Amino acid sequence: MTRYAMVMDQRRCIGCQSCTVACRTWNELPMDIIYNPVVTEGVLGEWPNVHRTFTPLICMHCDNPPCTICCPCKASQQDEDGIVWVESEKCMGCKVCVNSCPYGARDVNGHEGFVRKCTFCMDRVREGDQPYCVATCHQKARIFGDLDDPASDVSKLVNSLKTNRIFEELGTDPQVYYIPDLGGVH
Amino acid sequence: MGLMNHAMEPNKLQKHYWIWPIAWYLFLGGLGGATLFVCGLLDIVFGIEYLLAPGALIAVGCLGIGSLLLIFELGQPKVFIRVFLSATAIIKWGACLLILAMGFGFLYFLFWLPPEWNLFWYGWVWLRDVCAALMALFGLCVVVYTGVLLCTMKSKPFWNTPALPVLFTVSALSTATAGLALASLLWGFPWFVEFWFGADAGSEAFLQAVRHDNELVVEIMHLADTILVVGEVIVLLLYVLLMRASGNVTAKSIALEWISGKKALLFWVGMMGCGLIIPFALYLLGGAAAVFVAPVLVLAAGLLLRFLIVYSDKRRAVPGEERYYARMPKGDERFLQSWKAPY
Repeated sequence: MTRYAMVMDQRRCIGCQSCTVACRTWNELPMDIIYNPVVTEGVLGEWPNVHRTFTPLICMHCDNPPCTICCPCKASQQDEDGIVWVESEKCMGCKVCVNSCPYGARDVNGHEGFVRKCTFCMDRVREGDQPYCVATCHQKARIFGDLDDPASDVSKLVNSLKTNRIFEELGTDPQVYYIPDLGGVH
Repeated sequence: MGLMNHAMEPNKLQKHYWIWPIAWYLFLGGLGGATLFVCGLLDIVFGIEYLLAPGALIAVGCLGIGSLLLIFELGQPKVFIRVFLSATAIIKWGACLLILAMGFGFLYFLFWLPPEWNLFWYGWVWLRDVCAALMALFGLCVVVYTGVLLCTMKSKPFWNTPALPVLFTVSALSTATAGLALASLLWGFPWFVEFWFGADAGSEAFLQAVRHDNELVVEIMHLADTILVVGEVIVLLLYVLLMRASGNVTAKSIALEWISGKKALLFWVGMMGCGLIIPFALYLLGGAAAVFVAPVLVLAAGLLLRFLIVYSDKRRAVPGEERYYARMPKGDERFLQSWKAPY
C-alpha cells in the first residue's frame, strides 16, 4: 500500500515562501486563497540566545480526517494512498468541511462557490513527480514520499528522527511530520 | 452564487465561513422543532387540540424558512439536492430530520383545518395521534441536531463541547413556549375564531369557551417558559464561565470576549438582562407585560444567542499563524474583489 506523507525539516526552512508562491502557480489559485503558508512566531529567546523557527503549513492529509466524514455530498474524500481532496463537481459549498478542519487547510471564495484545498499535487504525484512545493523548495525542507515504503526518504526520516505533528491530540492522525528546529512546533 | 461571505478577509483566522443565514437557521430550526415537540406533547399528554393548530403551522413555516436560508447560504444553491448523497454526514441527517419534522407537522395541521370543510380524514384520530407523536419526535431531533452540528467540530474550541446541544435545546424549548404563548393570542380575536370555525361559531358562548381553553394553554406556556428561562440562565452562565475556566487558549479568549470583551454588552445586557432576567421577572409579575413583552424578549434572546455562538467560531491557531495573517496586506480588497476567477 502507498501512504503519501510529507516531512517538514524545520532545521532547513528559511521562510522564503517559495513553496507558497509555487503552489499558487501550479494550482492556479484564486487571489484570496493560500494552501501552504509558512508561518513563524518571530524571534524567540533573549539575546544572545535567540532563535527563529519557520513552520511550513499545508493540508495534513490526516489518516482520520474530520473533513471527509462531515461532507454530505461525498465531494470531500480520501483516496487509498491517503490523499484528501475535494471533487469540485460534487461540492455544493456548505462549508462544513472548512469549519471542521482544525488546520485551516480549506478555503472557499464567493466567486467559485466550491471548497478548495491542497491535493498533494495528485496530478503530479500520480505520474511519479513530486508535489510542486516540494520540487520548488531549494532548501530541501519539504520532503515528500510514501510512508509505507521503507526505502523512501520520508519513511527513513520519520522512523529515525524525533518528529512532531500539529494538534496530534485531536485524534486526526495528521500525516505531515515536523523535524523540529530549536523550539519546533508546540 | 448564494449568500456567501463575499467580503475579503485577509485574516483567515478571523474569517467567518458561516454567517447570518446560519444563525437565523439555528434559531428558526430550534424554534420550529421545539414548537412541534411542545405541540405534540400537549396534544398527546394534555389533550389540548385545535388550539395548537396555528402554532404547529407557524413551526412548519419556521422550519421551511430555515431550510431555505440553509440552501441560499450554500456556495452553489442550485445543487442543494446533493446533500443527500452521503450516508453518514451529519448535515444529511439534519436535512432528513428537517423534512420529516416539516412533513409530519404539516400532516398534523391538516387535521385542524376549519371543521366546516368536512374533509374525509378528520375522523382518523389514530392517524392524528401518530402524526403528533412523530412530529414531536422529529421536532426534538431537529432541536438537538442544531446543537450537535456545531459541537462535533473539533476545530472550533468554543463549539466543541457536549454542553452546546444542551444549551441549544433549553433555549429552543424556551423560545418555543414563548412563541406558542404569542401564537395563542390569535384566539383572542373573534375574527380568527370565526375564520377557523365558520361564521356560525361567532356566538359569545363559543368565544368564551375558546378563550377559557386558551387561557389554560397560555398559563402552561408561561409557567414552562419561566422554568426554562431559569434553566437557560444556569446552562448559559456555566457554559461561558467554564469555557473561561477550563477551555483551551482559544476557548478562553472567546469566553473572555463574552465576559468582558467586545461581546460583553450583547451577552450581559442583551442576552442575560433583557433576554432572560427581565422576561423571568415579567413572567413572575404577570399581567400584560408577561403576555406581550416577555415572550418577545425571549424570542429575541434566542436569536441573539445563535448569533453570538455562530460568530464565536475562531479556530485554534498554529503557533505563528496569528502573526502571519495579521501581516497580510490590507487595503487590497477592491483589487482582490474586482479580480474574477476565469473558471
